[in-house]
Amino acid sequence: MNDIRTQEMNLNFGPQHPSTHGVYRGVFTMQGEYVTKCVNHIGYLHRGIEKLAESRTYTQFIPYNGRLDYVSGMLNEEAYVRAVEKLMGISDQIPERAEYIRVIMVELQRIASHLVFYSSMALDMAGFTPWTYGFRERDTILDLFEMAAGSRMMPNYMRFGGVAADLNEEFMPALRKLLDIMPKCMEEYHGILTGNEIFQARTKGVAPLSREKALIYGISGPSARASGIDYDLRRDEPYGIYDRFKFNVPVRQTGDTFDRYIVRMDEMAESVKILEQAYRELPEGPVLAKVPKIIKPPAGEVYHRIEHSKGHLGFHIVSDGTAKPYRLRICSPCFVNVAVFEEMAVGLHLQDAVVAFASLDIVLGEIDR
Amino acid sequence: MVLFLVWVDMFRQWLVGIGIPALPAEILIKTILVLIVIIFVLTNLIVLVWLERKFAAFYADRVGPNRLGPAGFLQFPVDIVKMLGKEDIIPGNVDRPVFKIASICAFLTAIMGWAVIPLGKGMILEDLNVGLLYFIAIGSTGTIAFVMAGFASNNKYALLGGMRTAAQMISYEIPLAFSLLGIVMITGSLSLTEIVDAQKNVWFVFPQILAFFAYFVCSIAETNRGPFDLAEGEQELVAGYFVEYSGIRYALFMVAEYTHLVAVSAIAAVVFLGGWNAPFGLTFIPGFIWMMLKIYLMIFLFMWVRWTFVRVKVEHLMHIGWKFLIPLTLFNIMITGIGVYVYRMIAG
Amino acid sequence: MYGQGLLKGLSISIRHFFKKKVTEMYPEQKPNLPKRSRGWFELTPDKCTACGLCVNACPNGIISIESYKDENNKRKLVQYRMLMESCIFCGFCVEACPQDALYNTQAFEQTVFFREDLNRILYKAEPQSVQAERSEA
Repeated sequence: MNDIRTQEMNLNFGPQHPSTHGVYRGVFTMQGEYVTKCVNHIGYLHRGIEKLAESRTYTQFIPYNGRLDYVSGMLNEEAYVRAVEKLMGISDQIPERAEYIRVIMVELQRIASHLVFYSSMALDMAGFTPWTYGFRERDTILDLFEMAAGSRMMPNYMRFGGVAADLNEEFMPALRKLLDIMPKCMEEYHGILTGNEIFQARTKGVAPLSREKALIYGISGPSARASGIDYDLRRDEPYGIYDRFKFNVPVRQTGDTFDRYIVRMDEMAESVKILEQAYRELPEGPVLAKVPKIIKPPAGEVYHRIEHSKGHLGFHIVSDGTAKPYRLRICSPCFVNVAVFEEMAVGLHLQDAVVAFASLDIVLGEIDR
Repeated sequence: MVLFLVWVDMFRQWLVGIGIPALPAEILIKTILVLIVIIFVLTNLIVLVWLERKFAAFYADRVGPNRLGPAGFLQFPVDIVKMLGKEDIIPGNVDRPVFKIASICAFLTAIMGWAVIPLGKGMILEDLNVGLLYFIAIGSTGTIAFVMAGFASNNKYALLGGMRTAAQMISYEIPLAFSLLGIVMITGSLSLTEIVDAQKNVWFVFPQILAFFAYFVCSIAETNRGPFDLAEGEQELVAGYFVEYSGIRYALFMVAEYTHLVAVSAIAAVVFLGGWNAPFGLTFIPGFIWMMLKIYLMIFLFMWVRWTFVRVKVEHLMHIGWKFLIPLTLFNIMITGIGVYVYRMIAG
Repeated sequence: MYGQGLLKGLSISIRHFFKKKVTEMYPEQKPNLPKRSRGWFELTPDKCTACGLCVNACPNGIISIESYKDENNKRKLVQYRMLMESCIFCGFCVEACPQDALYNTQAFEQTVFFREDLNRILYKAEPQSVQAERSEA
């Protein structure tokens, strides 16, 4: 056996692959079927959004936010709009109805984003049927967005001081119908995938991420909560009216792929709870505060972050008193989260590497901006 | 059906009557029967691909192909026409002879297994008295075609797929053979027609339920389907061992896979579900129709399992094959042996 | 028992096998889009005063207007052009219009064969009437 020569091979987990969530390239060095080294290559989707922001006014930049993390349009817009409102100093003048509508839209978007995670994770393991079940509910949510905002994926709905337009009369009955069927659908998702012994055997104990390592890398969002870091910006640094809602924050201890999956499924159930409370308490009133037509914030800088479905999305805006921002920096959570994959993939089988990558839940639009 | 043998006899007598000597007449008849089997298999293929796509859609709240032909039935023939018209791309540094004949080998080994499958009483190409052994042996030779395809394509993904397939198919042949051993012990013969005749009173699926379950799982692994399709795992190894194939060579691999699927379903129907015997004594429906119904029942079960479950990991595949199915089938053999001995003692 | 989750999965999928399917048969069955859905744009030229607010509101600057002042010093529209190949369908132009002259329809099947056809001219005044109005001044 001593004269059999083995050689490590380089495999491109390439930009063209059915299982990278976008145009991501990972160069694996493999010994047989086990990964010994992984190098991330990103930047294939760079569009220069931050530079583009310097030639648009603050209001004109709102549609571009929907293109960052393209499966969660409303969440990106909320982060940007709240950052500029903090800079302008009108964070407390937003009408009540607008705040409640923002919460409804954002929690619906969180459910939609986690449904994409669920469907893509099932698809990466050749579960074609759970994939379509997840996208069925996401389609209902996108129809709700079309009723309120006019567009399914790039809603362009949030404005400084409130939201663009009030909800029309067909929105609330449709939302009620969705909230009624969600518990049954969650049971179906758990029945066909979570309880499946093959799925559990493939995800339990795979690629664990310890709490210390998650803190060193700066992971945020559901991936961090699966490793034991009990931090949720909605509860610990509440913005808007999040301090009025009662919801739990699911936290798990091991940090393996199964925990990252379960945290997101539990977060979907918690979002449904928040939606029920917001649906009941929605008051009447105006939806847009009195803001000037041309937004000219005072010179200064601001950093504001929200609990995005992938982690902490932050906007660092430097303004020089004119109508266009001087510098706009987007601190994206997926950019930080994907860095841990280089360490996570070492020693994994190729199949486990694909599933671990899916469980980090990254979207390339946010990494490359 | 004995009617079929009567027709073949009439045709043979007519041939001898017009002056062809006996031996060439036999050869001519056998050639025509082989052609009929191949045409039957290819017809089944068209129905099967349509069924697969419609089932995949129905499990997922979708409708599936419904534009071409009634309920989308002509979708697959049109796809074959499209594939025939594609350019035959052979990548640069492949091993050319091996690359070219790999897909033909796959189809060849799949169709050779059809020589012993009875589709009705007397409708069998060659009633070997070691029919079951022949089928298992031919099934093992199918492995080489996939290894050829994986090795000859100058591609790392294909190499991984080919190696995985070799390991998988070899691991699951032992439980496959063992699960059929219980049947052989009960009937005392390897000939498929005698196995069907022995099921006149009770089908073998009831006393041999463990063997049926083991055979079901092994045949999913043998045909590279369902939760065990690691070799062609699209999500990790973009189409695995046939990533470099296009056009008609790719279609041949698909044809081979579905032919093998119908063959193992037919063996399951013959060995476990009673072959052409009618249940509850409904003998006015001919045995051929019952056989087709049982084959399609097995295919429905295969497709149900494929579209519900996710793919297993390679280590678990090996664990299931070696550590779970072999003890299960050995246990079944032990129980069957005890049962046969007790039955012989009781029956005198 | 070990295989319980597997059997539950099988029962869920066989239930969906027999239920009604959610596919919409396009193009026989066109989707019923809500009123706010942002499709392509149309202009009511009588209401338009050529104020140019939509031109300033567009992030990409795709709208261009030609106008002239008639004898009462009122602005009149001559040509309204939108370069749809750069449009991001944000709807700011519709929101900015004070007279509600520009509105969006729900039309989304607007593929064309040539790139030039994308640059739509939503309104072009007849040259004779413009000349007539100018000569009356």
